[in-house]
Amino acid sequence: MTRFVLSRLISAIPTLFLVSLAVFTLIRLIPGDPVSLMLGDNIDDTAYEAMSHQLGLDRPIPVQFLLWLQGVFQGDLGRSITTGQPVLPLVLQRFAITAQLVLVAVGLATLLAVPLGMLAAWRQNSAFDLGVVVGATALMSIPTFWMGLMLLLFFGLQLGWLPVLGYVSPFEDFGAGALYLIMPVAALVLHECGILVRMARASTLDVLRLDYVTHARAKGLTEGQVLRRHVFRNAFGPTWTLLGLILGNLLGGVAVVETVFTIPGLGRLIVESIYGRDYPVLQGCLLFVAVTYVVVNLIVDLCYPLFDPRVKTT
Amino acid sequence: MISTQRLALPLLALACALGAGGAVAETLNVQLASDIRSSRPGVNRDALSDNVALSVGEGLVAFGEGGNILPMLAESWTVSEDGTVYTFTLREGRTFHNGAEVTAELVKQSWEATMAAPEFNCAGFFDGTRGARVTGIEAPDARTVVITLDQPEAMFLKNTAQSQCGGMAITHPDSFAADGTWDHPVGTGPFTFGEWRRGQSVVLEKYADYQPLDGGIDGFGGHKEALVDTVNLVVTPDRATAIAALRSGDLDVVPFLSTSEAAELTADPDFEVKSSPHGGMITLLMQTADPVLSSTEMRMAVAKALDIPQLVEVATDGLGTPNASLVPEGSVYHSAVHDEGIAYAPDEVPALLEAAGYDGQELVIQTNRRNPINENVAVLSQAMLQMAGINSRIEVLEWATQLDRFRSGSFQMSAFNYSNRADPVLAYSAVTASKEDRGSAIWDDPRAIELVAEATSTPDGEARQAIFDELHQLYLQQMPFVMLANNLTVSVNASYVQDYSTWNGFARFWGVSVDR
Amino acid sequence: MNLGRTNKYLGGLLIAFFLLSALLGWLWTPYDPLALDLRARLAPPGAGHWLGTDEYGRDVMSRLMAAARTSVTISALTVGFAVTFGIVLGSVAGYARGWVDRLVMLFTDTLLAFPSILLALALLSILGANIWGVILALGLAYMPTVTRVVRGAVMSLREQEFIEASRLMGHPVGYTLRAHVIPNCLAPVIVIATSMFGSVLLTESALSFLGLGVPPPAPTWGNMLAGARPYMAQAHWLGIFPGLCIALTLLGINLFGDYVRDRFDPRMKGL
Repeated sequence: MTRFVLSRLISAIPTLFLVSLAVFTLIRLIPGDPVSLMLGDNIDDTAYEAMSHQLGLDRPIPVQFLLWLQGVFQGDLGRSITTGQPVLPLVLQRFAITAQLVLVAVGLATLLAVPLGMLAAWRQNSAFDLGVVVGATALMSIPTFWMGLMLLLFFGLQLGWLPVLGYVSPFEDFGAGALYLIMPVAALVLHECGILVRMARASTLDVLRLDYVTHARAKGLTEGQVLRRHVFRNAFGPTWTLLGLILGNLLGGVAVVETVFTIPGLGRLIVESIYGRDYPVLQGCLLFVAVTYVVVNLIVDLCYPLFDPRVKTT
Repeated sequence: MISTQRLALPLLALACALGAGGAVAETLNVQLASDIRSSRPGVNRDALSDNVALSVGEGLVAFGEGGNILPMLAESWTVSEDGTVYTFTLREGRTFHNGAEVTAELVKQSWEATMAAPEFNCAGFFDGTRGARVTGIEAPDARTVVITLDQPEAMFLKNTAQSQCGGMAITHPDSFAADGTWDHPVGTGPFTFGEWRRGQSVVLEKYADYQPLDGGIDGFGGHKEALVDTVNLVVTPDRATAIAALRSGDLDVVPFLSTSEAAELTADPDFEVKSSPHGGMITLLMQTADPVLSSTEMRMAVAKALDIPQLVEVATDGLGTPNASLVPEGSVYHSAVHDEGIAYAPDEVPALLEAAGYDGQELVIQTNRRNPINENVAVLSQAMLQMAGINSRIEVLEWATQLDRFRSGSFQMSAFNYSNRADPVLAYSAVTASKEDRGSAIWDDPRAIELVAEATSTPDGEARQAIFDELHQLYLQQMPFVMLANNLTVSVNASYVQDYSTWNGFARFWGVSVDR
Repeated sequence: MNLGRTNKYLGGLLIAFFLLSALLGWLWTPYDPLALDLRARLAPPGAGHWLGTDEYGRDVMSRLMAAARTSVTISALTVGFAVTFGIVLGSVAGYARGWVDRLVMLFTDTLLAFPSILLALALLSILGANIWGVILALGLAYMPTVTRVVRGAVMSLREQEFIEASRLMGHPVGYTLRAHVIPNCLAPVIVIATSMFGSVLLTESALSFLGLGVPPPAPTWGNMLAGARPYMAQAHWLGIFPGLCIALTLLGINLFGDYVRDRFDPRMKGL
């Protein structure tokens, strides 16, 4: 077990390296650079060169990369070009905000979606099933930027129940912080529920047709027992994989939701650093996101045997 | 039911707690589209950072409403006969936010520190690359500052007042932390720099000991009295969210709105929509070095194919007015000559196209989605050109990419906006230069370059007027790009906010009061 | 009456409707979808324009019809790309394990950790802002999901008796994969692929929202939806109709997808 974890972590190093290298090169290959953005339409070549030199951007890209890598090994991710803040604390602070939002949302979505999907499968082709399928599809087809805005207009503006603007950390003031989280969490839950419901329903349908379910029913177990003991354990596998993917994906930032609800999270930071060509911040963010992926996927793989006894971790 | 006001944020509560001793403190909540880059005037800045710098700091002089120069921290100045020595007399009794008096020595230190900052945006204006070089700053006595240039420079005072230079705001040495790094601005303006929560908000507090000058509000100068206790700038990147927040009362002012969003709010009695044109330019640029567009007839055909009044009307949702000249409508230099433009004449286009030898080559119009006006200009021009028989295609680029193409001149046509230019000569010099010297130059006609250089060294007056008139006539003959209109700032505020205005693209928080 | 059958027909009907309108939109639209009519800007749905006009006075219905073709093409090709490469990579990785698995996963994880905006930005600046850039960017962004899900399914299938049996019978790896492994992991893939189809329509919309999608004036449902956001209060029809198109297409594909899944599932044969 420990060996498995260790070997997985070691085998992740090439991924991290590859991500860093790819990001480093790509962002520099895309036209546009931080100096032009800083100087805007007032640009002249002398000022441009002076500032590039000062930021070290006039060095060859491989040299820049090695310097950055050297910094990473010393625990220094550099400083933001736009604001001058050190990158590591900035990323950690933003990640903490995104993580609380995403973990709550994915938790709730799972609790809501898996039972719904299983029930729909159990009553396949009933009106309830059709309702769930249509509902889930409808939710999936609303873009988050629309969903967010509609929630904002209805609960924030029309009813005036929830704050429209701003962010308060729940660690500073739990009550107020929770209020600010309700709408963004709802927007995420509604969106992610759709695909989770459909996945849970599909894998449950698969399992329901297997012989041992018929067998279990024949043994005289109640439907509830069949669903809980036999179906759930076997049907949760694919949903679990998907959950890992969703979690990994969302932890990397939910830029749209963060933008609509003015939450200073990691997603907004990444988008802003791409548009602002803030190289050190982007590199730091993506290195961090890649680490998160590795860890989340590791946890997902470690948990497989819990749900699916057929898989052994080796 | 819970009221919105109750929930309207610990930020408000915080602002109240910070406000004057327990009395009901008035807060103005303002949208900030993105966080400021730094708090240091003129250094690592963008327009929003400039806006904060202009609220907190003041320079020796400031721009007045008509683009004229007003005294600010200096009550008067004299220029030596040869135009190289500027002697400023400081106003008496002005204090920094930390209570220290403004002395000539501190002004000298502030200027020197700013000019030495590696990321100082305006270095070129003062080190000889884009004009005269400042060779010395002296403080012969407590109220006299002497600045010496290496050559006469008609634009010197205007350069110092520019917003992109932070108005050369004078800041106290306490603005730096003990280790010598910049901490926060300790300036002399009507607002002090309060708490800055990065990515969330910037708080400006009323400076209680500020002594407003007599008279009315005039550009960035004149009577600048803070009437609200706190200005809370809330980072709200999404404009739709900002409008929702305005409707719910969480925001009082949204200072920069797209014209389409403003159009929707104009009819609502709860809000006031204000649009004010500034010296920025809405243009359709053409690359005169391009094989197709190098022909003057071709460029003229493009200009005549565009129904500019219609285009400006739709692109700005009826809020903008066409202006064919780089000299803004409100400028003293906008003489009758500058009212002349190229009229919409689609029937003349075929002959021009034939003269240009055009046979259906496709022109690419670059634009972006960051600024809806650029996108509108591109879409409308494309359709109008198509109708007149000129083939074109739109290429939407992300802003940094379009800017990069602009810098290197690699485009055929580009729907591009220039930011505010405080003086006509700055507008002309933005587009005019030799393409070899500057990739972003559009108009590289030798006579035009000569005229712009002449205007730079000519002081205000009739001679300068004559130069601008000739420049405009030359522009109409050569049509190096299509000048459509001056850009405009559209703001909206709740109707209980009084006397809010933007000027030259900047929000002014002084003189604004709130009566809920 | 069997609801399963109704679903199939409803799904089929919706798909047929949108395919037909895409086809029709190619041949004929009530108005020119690109023609501006600046006197009729933001006209509400009515007699002249059944679904109203947009901010440039272009007919919304004509644009929706023209958009159907572009949007359906983008979605189909993107999903096709992601599913094909995802299945190949995922099944090979899950079945072979060892260094092959590690290599594939290295590639997959690198892609997964990449924000799709950056990927899109990079590809679009290389390929130019056009349909192919969008398809490649989205395809690469969606592929890792399929790869991971297939790999997971294959990993658990690999341990089962009938695969073991096929192996012991001396069938070549390719045959075992094709005949036994892939068909048995198609169920989750079809669910993902059908969800993805709609998700691509939406992501294309988000890309347009960020200024990176299919460039104007060419319409797609996604860029129409994104462009409608500033007019939400003034001209709600601009957002509602493309939104409905996306939602109904998605519903049709999903219902039909469930039917296809049942048909493909070897365990369902003869039931």
